Amino acid sequence: MLRMLKTNYASSQDTIQEFTWKPVIRIFSSDDENELLNIQHDSRAVIEYLLLNRENQNSILNIVTLARENARSVQEHIPKDLWQCLNEYYHAVKDEKLLWYVQKDDPVTALDVLIKQVMLYNGTADSVMERGESRSFMNIGKHLERSIQSVDILDIKFSSISSNPDLLTDISYWKHLLLSLGGYELYLKTYRQGFDAKNIIELVMLNNDFPRSALYAMHNIERYFNRLKSESNIEHYNNLSFKIGRLKSMITYSSVNTMNEEQLHHYLTEIRAELFGIGNLLNEYYFANS
Amino acid sequence: MIEDFIKNYLNHPKTYDEMFLNGDHYRDHYSNFINNFSKESLENLNKKEELAKKLFMSQGITFTVYDSGEGIEKIFPFDIIPRIITSTEWSFIEKGIKQRLKALNLFLKDIYSNQFILKDQIVPINVIYSCPHFLREMHNVNVLHDIYIHIAGIDLIRDHDGTFYVLEDNLRTPSGVSYMLENREITKRLFPDLIPQCGVRSVTEYPAILYKNLMSLSPRAVSNPTIVLLSPGMYNSAYYEHTTLARLMGVELVEGRDLVVKNQKVFMKTTTGLQQVDVIYRRVDDDYLDPLVFNPNSVLGVAGLMGAYRKGNVAIINAIGNGVADDKAVYTYVPDMIRYYLNEEPILKNVPTYQLSNKDELDYVFANINTMVIKKTNGSGGYGMLMGHAASEQETDEYKIEVLKDPRNFIAQPTISLSSAPCFINGKLAPRRIDLRPFALNGPDGISIVPGGLTRVALKEGSLVVNSSQGGGSKDTWVLTS
Repeated sequence: MLRMLKTNYASSQDTIQEFTWKPVIRIFSSDDENELLNIQHDSRAVIEYLLLNRENQNSILNIVTLARENARSVQEHIPKDLWQCLNEYYHAVKDEKLLWYVQKDDPVTALDVLIKQVMLYNGTADSVMERGESRSFMNIGKHLERSIQSVDILDIKFSSISSNPDLLTDISYWKHLLLSLGGYELYLKTYRQGFDAKNIIELVMLNNDFPRSALYAMHNIERYFNRLKSESNIEHYNNLSFKIGRLKSMITYSSVNTMNEEQLHHYLTEIRAELFGIGNLLNEYYFANS
Repeated sequence: MIEDFIKNYLNHPKTYDEMFLNGDHYRDHYSNFINNFSKESLENLNKKEELAKKLFMSQGITFTVYDSGEGIEKIFPFDIIPRIITSTEWSFIEKGIKQRLKALNLFLKDIYSNQFILKDQIVPINVIYSCPHFLREMHNVNVLHDIYIHIAGIDLIRDHDGTFYVLEDNLRTPSGVSYMLENREITKRLFPDLIPQCGVRSVTEYPAILYKNLMSLSPRAVSNPTIVLLSPGMYNSAYYEHTTLARLMGVELVEGRDLVVKNQKVFMKTTTGLQQVDVIYRRVDDDYLDPLVFNPNSVLGVAGLMGAYRKGNVAIINAIGNGVADDKAVYTYVPDMIRYYLNEEPILKNVPTYQLSNKDELDYVFANINTMVIKKTNGSGGYGMLMGHAASEQETDEYKIEVLKDPRNFIAQPTISLSSAPCFINGKLAPRRIDLRPFALNGPDGISIVPGGLTRVALKEGSLVVNSSQGGGSKDTWVLTS
């Protein structure tokens, strides 16, 4: 999300026509869209809303606060370094300077600070977490989240095309999509023929070397879920395992590059629903015991 | 705030200033910028300058200076105030450069084949044959699409009345384009929202255009040609630029030792074996490209490359032997070339140039040496230059002896009072001399020039030399839409 904001901000600084934040708002806000559309041309206001607004459930501020609360309550299960890292992240978000950067100074500095915190968190988790149950859950969650985001971004970007077909040949449009996902450099290396919608879908859905592709996420979800086997209720495990396997095959054996826009939208919606289904089942089976 | 700045801003006498007319009047096209700029406090501006330095440092946009065995990383100085060019000025520049490049390209084609221009005595034969960059090896080599100059950086300056002059053509391996791109990125962060407000045209498509051109030059008819960027290696001062361009285009960055020639085809060594290379964007000078043909001591090049090139199995960008067209002695004849090949009057003027191999001109130059700049015909980077007005008597005398040894190697030009632009230096606005290097890309679809370029600044007070190796810096260059 931060990366997406940064890229969009950069592109807002590059275009001479009025830049709209509408797609970003549609992806990341849970609230009433219409109200937000009033600020769609004001970069700073949008960034502030998505980063620091207390009313916005999905703002970084609220997400990090909740994550910290969670971590605080399970401090004994996570390494001290990880807890500290999250705590620092929380304080970084609360820092008044951040607001000042967003409102008055250079918003990219604020985004950079936050992106760095996320990287720190990921690195810390990777190097200090024990390879046990909790890490498996964490990783499943992370990959679920990522794949949902990739699917969403793809869906929204492609739906803008149907209303404005000129975008299909607009290099910077694709470039920004790929930059938002951190896949720009990989794309350039993989495909030599310039930007093509089919190649982009293929990269984001099917490239197993791309850490944000749906397929890569599915492989990892499956891998970490398998590790939970010994600790699971066998019926629940089989049920979820089936769902994960089915979704994985659905992605692997899809022929995204022959789809038209409508089919693509339909397909992405379906995958999204499946991903949410897996998330909900996980929740039900493992965390909602009563 | 801004009033203080303007009050203390001293125009150089007899100099065209890009922002200020005289006293406290500024040129119209700066008004949008000044309105915004004047809202900033001095403290903020200092902070912006700090931020710019930090960004350059953290992105590794540095060059390394070796001192007492320890490498010191330095950044290429950047001035936070952009240089602004109106759309009228730009379309004039654009037309001028396109015309000039067209003629220069025809000249290269001609000089390496029929040599009509020599037979018609437009350019003297001895000027060409005495030029070290005229390579007989290139004679009758078939160059794809007849494009010799794929990438050019044309250095422009402005005289005291604002007229643009071409100071130099860089047709071999012009550098600085990564700074054009980075400077824009940095400015976006220093002055949020200002660029869209002022209506500044974007420069970001440069790598995409270059990549498209490189693709279209592949001699093999394959959908996925292999393009590489050949760099002299990480100790080259422009290495940062090589890595940036390779990354922005997604092509492999290679050094000479990564390539081999087999059966007159060029291959790249990869983990999965040899892979045929179709297009080489080289940043290595002609002389070092192929030890079998040129400098036998070169370890930067690839043995046999020239053979593969002559055979048409690989495209080299820019073409080999372009140096003959940007030689400073040949430069004098560019306006004649434009008339000869295109039957047009040159749009951009040349700076008057004296050939020191001509006895009369030599005498004239020596008699007026205080108002002259003497340069080597094949020099670059501001090395080996004599600035007549600033040199001591001893320096002048020593230089004269040097010139007399081989006058063909030198040319002289009257000292031009370069235009100035305000720079933010030590918390004040101060005028510094600038030039402009737009980058032109020439492909099968024609010549395109991204609106902008590299504005180089002579940061030393009163200095007229903008080269980075001589203490120069740079500015972001804005071309306005209207």
